[in-house]
Amino acid sequence: MMSLTTVSLTATLKKQYSYKLRAYNQVFWNLVFLQLLAVLFSLNGVGMMGSSSESIEVTIHYYSADFVVFFTMIWGLIIAIIITTKAYRNDDFTFVTNRLSHNLSNLLFLLTACLIGGLTAMLSANVIKVITYFFDGQLIVDSTSLTSALGEFILGTFTTSLYIFLCCALGYIVGTLVQIHKVFVVLVPVLFFGGLFLLGVSGNETIVTNFFGFIFKESSILLFMIKVMVTSGLLFASAFLLSNRMEVKQ
Amino acid sequence: MNLNLDGTKPIYLQISEWLEREILNGNFESDQKIYSQYQLAEIFNINPATAAKGLNILADENILYKKRGLGMFVTSTAKERILSKRKNETLKRLVEEIVLEADRLNVSKAELIEMIKATSIGEVEK
Amino acid sequence: MSVIECHGLTKKYERNRALNNLSFKIEENKITGLIGRNGSGKTTLLKIIAGHLKETTGEIKVFSEKPFNNLTISANLIFIHDQMNLPTALNLQEILAAAAKFYENWDAKLAYRLFDYFSFNQSQYYQDLSKGMKSTFNIILGLSARCPLTLFDEPTTGMDAAVRHDFYRAVLKDYIAYPRSFIISSHHLNEIEDLLEEVLLIKEGKAHLHLPVEDFKEWAIGIQGKSSIVQEWTKDREIIHTKNIGTDQSYVVVRNQFSDQERQRARTAGLNLTSVTASDLSVYLTGKTEGGIDDVFNHG
Repeated sequence: MMSLTTVSLTATLKKQYSYKLRAYNQVFWNLVFLQLLAVLFSLNGVGMMGSSSESIEVTIHYYSADFVVFFTMIWGLIIAIIITTKAYRNDDFTFVTNRLSHNLSNLLFLLTACLIGGLTAMLSANVIKVITYFFDGQLIVDSTSLTSALGEFILGTFTTSLYIFLCCALGYIVGTLVQIHKVFVVLVPVLFFGGLFLLGVSGNETIVTNFFGFIFKESSILLFMIKVMVTSGLLFASAFLLSNRMEVKQ
Repeated sequence: MNLNLDGTKPIYLQISEWLEREILNGNFESDQKIYSQYQLAEIFNINPATAAKGLNILADENILYKKRGLGMFVTSTAKERILSKRKNETLKRLVEEIVLEADRLNVSKAELIEMIKATSIGEVEK
Repeated sequence: MSVIECHGLTKKYERNRALNNLSFKIEENKITGLIGRNGSGKTTLLKIIAGHLKETTGEIKVFSEKPFNNLTISANLIFIHDQMNLPTALNLQEILAAAAKFYENWDAKLAYRLFDYFSFNQSQYYQDLSKGMKSTFNIILGLSARCPLTLFDEPTTGMDAAVRHDFYRAVLKDYIAYPRSFIISSHHLNEIEDLLEEVLLIKEGKAHLHLPVEDFKEWAIGIQGKSSIVQEWTKDREIIHTKNIGTDQSYVVVRNQFSDQERQRARTAGLNLTSVTASDLSVYLTGKTEGGIDDVFNHG
């Protein structure tokens, strides 16, 4: 008898994580593409204000990386959904796995993706600055500066990553629900938009708007971080629980 | 050598018969180690368990003997046993079939014996 | 220790039962052939063993543990089938490298030699391979992983005869060098029967027969002769298959429970006794009616 191999969860996780970084590298190309696209959009400026008197005319263009951050959040939502689909799920079950290590390695992968997404989104702000400097050639008033605000840059990266991560958590739970039953393909958007608009029309605050308010209107960074992490944690935990009895289907 | 794999004769019997022929041909002397089940499996492309069954038949008939951990060896009486077995079993069965077929064809015993004689003369002349 | 043991294993999909109260036990280090018609539950059984599906009722143990959602079991078996999911972003060489990381006993040299022998190209992608080449690549994974339990579900799909024979030989040689347990399901029983030690025949989700392949080949006997005599000889016996030949001849397959003397008397009575090949027998046993397709036309 061949002796049985004993494996630990952490060892398997490590293998699955490095496997995923290689096997899912397509998502990073998508990221590059999306962010470049967003940079192009951003070059239009997010806002413009002008005033003039007899002798002076002032036009102010606002540029920001908001587009990039927004696109990256959408990207986070989509990749989280994608990796819950059959093709990606079953890639894991070809080799050594159980449902927990499958989900945890997905979580690690998404965390990595969010950090990379957050970092590149922040860097793209500089790209926008450089491009506008060369092409507009006018006076640039920078609200942040590269050298003095390394701390701010890191904080920005971190909060952006958290935004993306929250999107990932949403995508992951939605993707998991859809894998459990196809009815969620219809049900999730209906509930979401229904919650957003239908009830909103009556002027009442809805669960959906309340939820976004709860997260995004938070002015304390620390509280914001805690809120995002707890919410994402809960979303992932429920996805894990829901998929822990799930069968592998072709 | 190829096995007759059409299913008419069990593979393990074919293995034991092949080994008997090897012994009769003098390829294995008494007390010489014979092929292991794994070697036979490789030679004939069969499951080692099937090969082992072929070996065990010969061990049961005292044509081979086991040495623990060393494998199967040819007994000193192997050749005689094979010959007497063939005479008593194989030849007898063949004769029965011939007699039966002769009966179906209404060939008398005397006629049959003549045929056998004629055949054997042919053998000698060749 | 038995490798697989199951009692009353049942798997329901919606309303129909893919496995229905299946019980059997497979001992270690055997090559077992899993035989059955399409839809008899072979693949469902293998998926349950692999831990991909969960049984509805009953009990299954693989290496004495429940296989579903079990990391240890997953690490000790590899399940090769014709719908393998392999990452589309990795080329064949990278897939082998990834697999090597997952399996402790992975034999990289064997993988490389087989890869070379079957003329694969490192930079090819799995999704671009033909059906037969996919199957061939799958068996490289299955053999090189060298798991204590290897499950092959229709491993030769799309392969040409030469590659199929190479595959059987490869399994045998690697099994002799590194004895371990294999379960192979295949439609080509006549091709794999010599490779097998045991046959597990499944019919309608139940284990119909489970015995050494050599016993399986002697399990039944074909009797051919005048219908009236055949009928007399087979009347109290378990009839597996019947076929009429010409006007007054018939061929009947029954359980082989004749003594040597009975055989002798049967021959004297003018009956022709023949052995039944394993693949013929499996067709007869898994068929729904004794006469097979002929019944459809005879009763029309």
